[in-house]
Amino acid sequence: MDRKIGVFVCHCGINIASTVDVNTLVNYAKTLDGVVVSKDYKYMCSDVGATLIKDAIKKHKLDGVVIACCSPRMHEHTFRGVVEAGGINAFNLEIANVREQCSWAHEDKTRATEKAKALVRGAVAKAKLLESLETSKIDVNPDALVIGGGIAGIQSALDLAEEGHKVYLVEQRPTIGGRMAQLDKTFPTLDCSGCILTPKMMEVANHPNIELLTYAEVTGIEGSIGNYTVTVNKKARYVDMDKCTGCGDCVEACRLKGRITSEFDEGMGKRSAIYLSFPQAVPLKCTIDKDHCLMLTRGKCGTGPLCVDACEAGAIDFKQKDKAVELNVGAIVVTTGYDIMDPSTLHEYGYARSNDVITTMQMERLINSSGPTGGEIVRPSTGEKPKSITYVLCVGSRDETACAWCCRIGCMSALKQVYLLKEKCGDDVEINVCYTDIRSFGKGYEEFYRKIRGMNTNFFRGRPSEVRNAGVHLTIDIFDTITNKLFEISTDLVVLVPALIPRTNADELARTLRVSTSADGFFLEAHPKLRPMDTFTGGIFIAGCCQGPKDIQDSVAQASGAAARAATILSKKELEAEPMVSFVEEELCSGCSSCIAVCAYNAIDLVKREDGKSHAKVNEALCMGCGACVGSCPSGAMQQKGFKDKQLIPMVDETISS
Amino acid sequence: MMKKYALYPGCVMSTEQYAYELSLRAVLPKLDIELVGLNGFSCCGEPLKSVNQMLTLALSARNLAIAEKEKLDVFAPCPVCHLAFSECKKIVDSDPAMNEKVNAFLKDEELHYMGTAEVVTTLDLLHDIVGVETITKLVKKPLKEMKVATHYGCHLIRPTEIGRVDDAENPQKMETILKAIGAEPMDYPEKLDCCGGLLTANHPESALTKTGQKLQKVQEQNFDAFIDICPWCHRQYDSKQKKAGETVAAKLEVPVLYLTQLLGLSFGIPKDKLGLDLNLSPVNKLAMVGEG
Amino acid sequence: MSIVDLTSMGEVQTQLRKEINERLARLQDEHSDYCFQCAKCTSGCEAHKLLELEPHRMVALLKRGLIDEMMNSDVIWACMSCFKCRERCPQKVAPVEILFALKNLAVASGKQIPGNYTAWLQSVLSIGLLQEVKSVSTRDNKTKTRADLGLPDASKPTDPMKFQTMLSKLAVEKV
Repeated sequence: MDRKIGVFVCHCGINIASTVDVNTLVNYAKTLDGVVVSKDYKYMCSDVGATLIKDAIKKHKLDGVVIACCSPRMHEHTFRGVVEAGGINAFNLEIANVREQCSWAHEDKTRATEKAKALVRGAVAKAKLLESLETSKIDVNPDALVIGGGIAGIQSALDLAEEGHKVYLVEQRPTIGGRMAQLDKTFPTLDCSGCILTPKMMEVANHPNIELLTYAEVTGIEGSIGNYTVTVNKKARYVDMDKCTGCGDCVEACRLKGRITSEFDEGMGKRSAIYLSFPQAVPLKCTIDKDHCLMLTRGKCGTGPLCVDACEAGAIDFKQKDKAVELNVGAIVVTTGYDIMDPSTLHEYGYARSNDVITTMQMERLINSSGPTGGEIVRPSTGEKPKSITYVLCVGSRDETACAWCCRIGCMSALKQVYLLKEKCGDDVEINVCYTDIRSFGKGYEEFYRKIRGMNTNFFRGRPSEVRNAGVHLTIDIFDTITNKLFEISTDLVVLVPALIPRTNADELARTLRVSTSADGFFLEAHPKLRPMDTFTGGIFIAGCCQGPKDIQDSVAQASGAAARAATILSKKELEAEPMVSFVEEELCSGCSSCIAVCAYNAIDLVKREDGKSHAKVNEALCMGCGACVGSCPSGAMQQKGFKDKQLIPMVDETISS
Repeated sequence: MMKKYALYPGCVMSTEQYAYELSLRAVLPKLDIELVGLNGFSCCGEPLKSVNQMLTLALSARNLAIAEKEKLDVFAPCPVCHLAFSECKKIVDSDPAMNEKVNAFLKDEELHYMGTAEVVTTLDLLHDIVGVETITKLVKKPLKEMKVATHYGCHLIRPTEIGRVDDAENPQKMETILKAIGAEPMDYPEKLDCCGGLLTANHPESALTKTGQKLQKVQEQNFDAFIDICPWCHRQYDSKQKKAGETVAAKLEVPVLYLTQLLGLSFGIPKDKLGLDLNLSPVNKLAMVGEG
Repeated sequence: MSIVDLTSMGEVQTQLRKEINERLARLQDEHSDYCFQCAKCTSGCEAHKLLELEPHRMVALLKRGLIDEMMNSDVIWACMSCFKCRERCPQKVAPVEILFALKNLAVASGKQIPGNYTAWLQSVLSIGLLQEVKSVSTRDNKTKTRADLGLPDASKPTDPMKFQTMLSKLAVEKV
């Protein structure tokens, strides 16, 4: 039966029309076999364009539509809706991308128009062979998984739980709270970080819909949007969570007390082998560090483990093992946060050479009254009060040889600490700030910067070349571009504001979840402006610093946004699955399993027939339509709906014909 | 297993820094390195880069071409020459137009630059090619914890972009070798400061000020010796130490030795073979040099 | 349309700036446009304290196209090529190489070459080396020559005429 194809050419303003001669294209399309109508319009994706197409379908009784426009990634979804509204099955649509792959890639108008003609020619050839397809429905699991228990993860989890979904919150540390728990105050309001964080942590602990899995890591994932099966490894704490009361007697008693570098204190303090990260930890349960505990590393601890003696609840259990659990969820929100660049990579700043050169996070631990010095500001080398503190901003940031990006929070964190130090030490301490730019962009930030300028702080505009040891002190030469003078600063304590980088295990997690990362290693958003919490993987969303450095309020905003995005899936009973899945022509299949080997989604199984022969079978719910199996199939038994060989080959032939 | 190199001495070592050459010729054969002398070399051109970089590129290329003709790799003990050759290779090997241009000039002397010669200098030859293990085996007179300050100089370790011989901010290869021969190298804040050598062309007093300022700091920190590995630097710190002291109004009495001289002493090589009487700084303050 | 520096009445030298940028891109893959004036180079410049060289300012003047001001100054000759600026710049700018370009341009445009450079050039022209082979003094004031020390003669160009021919052609060549 002869199909009736309609061709619709979009100008896309001047994006297509300034390089491709749309009139020629429209007239050319009319000459193609099967084409009964050919029209153009400035913005085919608009209401007017949609009406144009729908009317044409009805008037000419079209059964196939070709739209020459932008990338299918942009509007294929929109146009499918239009075609369906016009009265024919949505999958009788073929898009010829004459923008990204033609007008935007070329300058020569004549040749670009010829190329556009070829693309349309091929699209028409395929359109004549398209078949109606029905979307299948997949059931949606209404539960959610949030990976990462910092403030972003906490916010997402609470939002989803409040909407009535069961939420699993997986956190790799023994407690939730993340970076915010390490801070003293937050900018610009100078709220006590712990005071605003811990109520949320308690809400998570008490929420009936949230199941907290701490000291646990995601190790594997199967399935797809609406139905994920996630394997989580719950690491052994060697403490029975049901018995432990968090009293901390074991921590005091530990033979290694004060001997192990504390990660929570960023190396500024020490802890025991059995520990509570901080007094408000959620869950308030102790954990044994298996890399240092004498019982676990050597099999014996002196005459006997002192923690066991001290524990009245009898909660210590050295026989505990890691445990794998499987979670079934419909959507996932990733909120795994950031790491801090090690400033010793910029050796010239002396971080490795002097104990009195520290990072902002280390200074935050000194400022915090529950930190290693009880809130006393001291020089790590002498334990005495410093008379002069100098901040160096942008250490490793905006640096093509380290991290090209701005860390976004460095300026405000430094200014905040200047305020807190002035509050604690008054004018007894001289504070210098060496900056390249002060980025105080947010609400209330500029007011805060003004306040600090009024607090007797010495601002130097420039980046020092090095921090030099000078006997008891440190010296920094800095050329101040504001006064055009070179200053030599003799100082007691240098605080470096280091770059913020992706977590060291971000790459691994990205591969496990099959989520892309951008060139800087942070997780990649589907669109930087319009889809900042989506990823290219259906059902997986990102929020907070794992997507890129940002402050607490932006992290919280993104977290709520990601929860809302996840809820658009979880609130549905079923989703429509893309019908462009693979399928097997069983008579042609020899059961060689090449397809199974290349399928990244474990969507293909081998089934045995009654006659003993095996053939492949595609699980449509898991199939992502990547087509790798089709490419691998030696017999042509594996085909993909909407992209069958018998549809593609004529398309190719027509495209390359002259 | 003998490794052979064409010795490209450079101007400063050829015309006045003889202690460096003597110590190299004494030490390297013990490490199975053979140095082949070739005729025809000229200045590498690096000190003339300020005048005309084309001159520098062509001069470097012609010297490399001379060694390539004999199918030899090049050993350039002077880091300034080593930088000239490294930058020449980087630019000329990657840019066919420049390659053609340079070779057009070399035609006058019937030379052709191919880019086949590897170029090494003293530090990578000792540390990377010979290896610290081999050096340790040859130590007969360990230096008994002599407290030494290492001076790498600028051209040896910067700019990293061209590929240098040790880390630009935390070089440790000299330290590794010195520890192997029994010395005690200590870090000091001025370690990466420049000697000022190349300023001698047009600001000789400032050059001496740079030299004097660094030596003053080294002296204040009670080092037994100051160890360098570049003839430009050594000329400043050793040959001109007295003048440098006058320039900064300080009495400087810092023993300054080439790394190869100290190496030779630890191997038990006699003092006169290492050119130690040519050091104008008070090297006889050191027990190993003073006695006998 | 014009941009004029009111302190010197100097106009933007777009052509010369283009020429210098092209040379920097070709030889060092350097793009001084990216400088954001953090002055890390000047903060660590070995020639700054003694000779007031401000590498970041040289880059800024280049960006503004005020080339003559730099070529006519003495300060561009104060650089001791320690390469710290190139090493530590966070935007991959190499002020040291900009200075080499300015010095080369100054020489090519007929400005007087300062200090010893002329003597060095003349020596290289006549014997291939920066200076003649010297006798040196020992610590106890004896004089020694290369021969006294058992060292072979210094290596020099085998055919001085051909070497000089090459050099004189090179002298007027731009890199």
